[in-house]
Amino acid sequence: MAPRVKGGEAAYARKARDAVHLLFFQHHRLPGVRGWELRQELGPEWQSVLEVLDKQLQPLDLQVTRVFDDPTIIEPNQGQLADARYYITLRGSMDQKTAKTIGWRVDDIAGLAVAIAYIISKQGKAPRVDVEKVLQEKLPGWRVKMSLDRYIQQGYLGEDERGTLYMDWRSRAEVDQKQLVDLIMSFGKKTEAKEQTEEPGEQGPRTRQTPQPESSE
Amino acid sequence: MSRTQAQEELRSIIGLCRSVTAGSVEPFAVDIDYILGVIRKHYPEIKSLQEFCTDAEAISELSGVLKRQDEWIQHQSTTLYKDPFLLSQQLMKMEIGAIAESFLKSWHPVLEMEQLSAKTLAGSLVYWTDLLPMSMRWRPMDVTEVEAGTATMDEARELGIIPEEGFAEILEASWRELCEKAGVGGRIGYWDWIGADTYQETVIRSYLACFMVGYGYAEIVTDRFGENAELVHNPEPRAEPGREKISIPTLVDYEEWSRWRRG
Repeated sequence: MAPRVKGGEAAYARKARDAVHLLFFQHHRLPGVRGWELRQELGPEWQSVLEVLDKQLQPLDLQVTRVFDDPTIIEPNQGQLADARYYITLRGSMDQKTAKTIGWRVDDIAGLAVAIAYIISKQGKAPRVDVEKVLQEKLPGWRVKMSLDRYIQQGYLGEDERGTLYMDWRSRAEVDQKQLVDLIMSFGKKTEAKEQTEEPGEQGPRTRQTPQPESSE
Repeated sequence: MSRTQAQEELRSIIGLCRSVTAGSVEPFAVDIDYILGVIRKHYPEIKSLQEFCTDAEAISELSGVLKRQDEWIQHQSTTLYKDPFLLSQQLMKMEIGAIAESFLKSWHPVLEMEQLSAKTLAGSLVYWTDLLPMSMRWRPMDVTEVEAGTATMDEARELGIIPEEGFAEILEASWRELCEKAGVGGRIGYWDWIGADTYQETVIRSYLACFMVGYGYAEIVTDRFGENAELVHNPEPRAEPGREKISIPTLVDYEEWSRWRRG
């Protein structure tokens, strides 16, 4: 029995390594891998392999993140899991000092936060002129235009032909929208909002920003 | 009210609806009953095609508003919903540093790596070694005249140059299969027809389907959005159906096939 267990572990380790190759390196124009691609490479137990990998990444402060095309999906079926995009993201958060070292000025971060929060409050899309107006309250006009163009180019925001801004793939993959809105709303209150920390023992790919029904709060 | 004024009124309604879909006006700030009333009022006065188009456009834009209202209700029922006014007030109250701090706490950047491995470099070197110099690759082709030989059909078939069966026979066999699957004059979903166990076979079946339609063994019909295509069996081949011929591009790529396989 023991050699069989060992063999199983070795197979999982090999598949976890394959998953690392798929998820860490950029294969397409955009980073991330679709579920069906992972299934093709890792076999039918691909979701278990991702759970194993997620557990292995935990000490490195990294995690496997899953993003659905439709952000309202709460209980995904097999087809939706296969269509979802999987990424490796930072598990915890970074401080301003680290953000600066990777090329983000405090103005850039705040501008992006305001743009995203404003778009969330407008059900996920808002005219660019309105976002510019909000940003110009605290940032110079030339900088606002430049920053918005940068957010669009980096995939945080998208702009359609009508000049409407919406949240693009990178915001959906990287930003915990609920946490951001909660932190902004709780700013200044005596009772500090509790940071959403990972429950002990929680493993497997985490779905980013799925809105939950109000009653579950 | 003159017809020009009616058109202007409809145009202003279209503009208002567009502002809602663009997000600059709240979806419930629009009085749907009033808009419907205006559309109803002007509908009997429609005389020209242009007026009809404006009326249709107003209805289409109004449906966009209803969609936004539906989304708005769904959004409000989630924990993500916070009053936009309160949210913007909070943002105005906060220092830039505090906003940045809040964002950093909810930001988990994607990890992306680009790296060349020693194995890839070694492989590339092998490729480089085998690559012919440009002077050799681009030099004029040496064409030498050879005496033409002859081969019988059987020999060509043996060599795989000509298929065992003639193309017409393959096409007719495909037509008979369509009759069996869809029934005489029956129809079958395009993917249900071309879909096969392997991607290669699917592409071949899709290729044959093109010729079946082109030669009048079958017809292809699509819905108004061009999303769902069906193949209709023709009991008698009709090479000239007497209608204008149009091309219907259909994507049969690997991803589409995989999706079909998953059901």
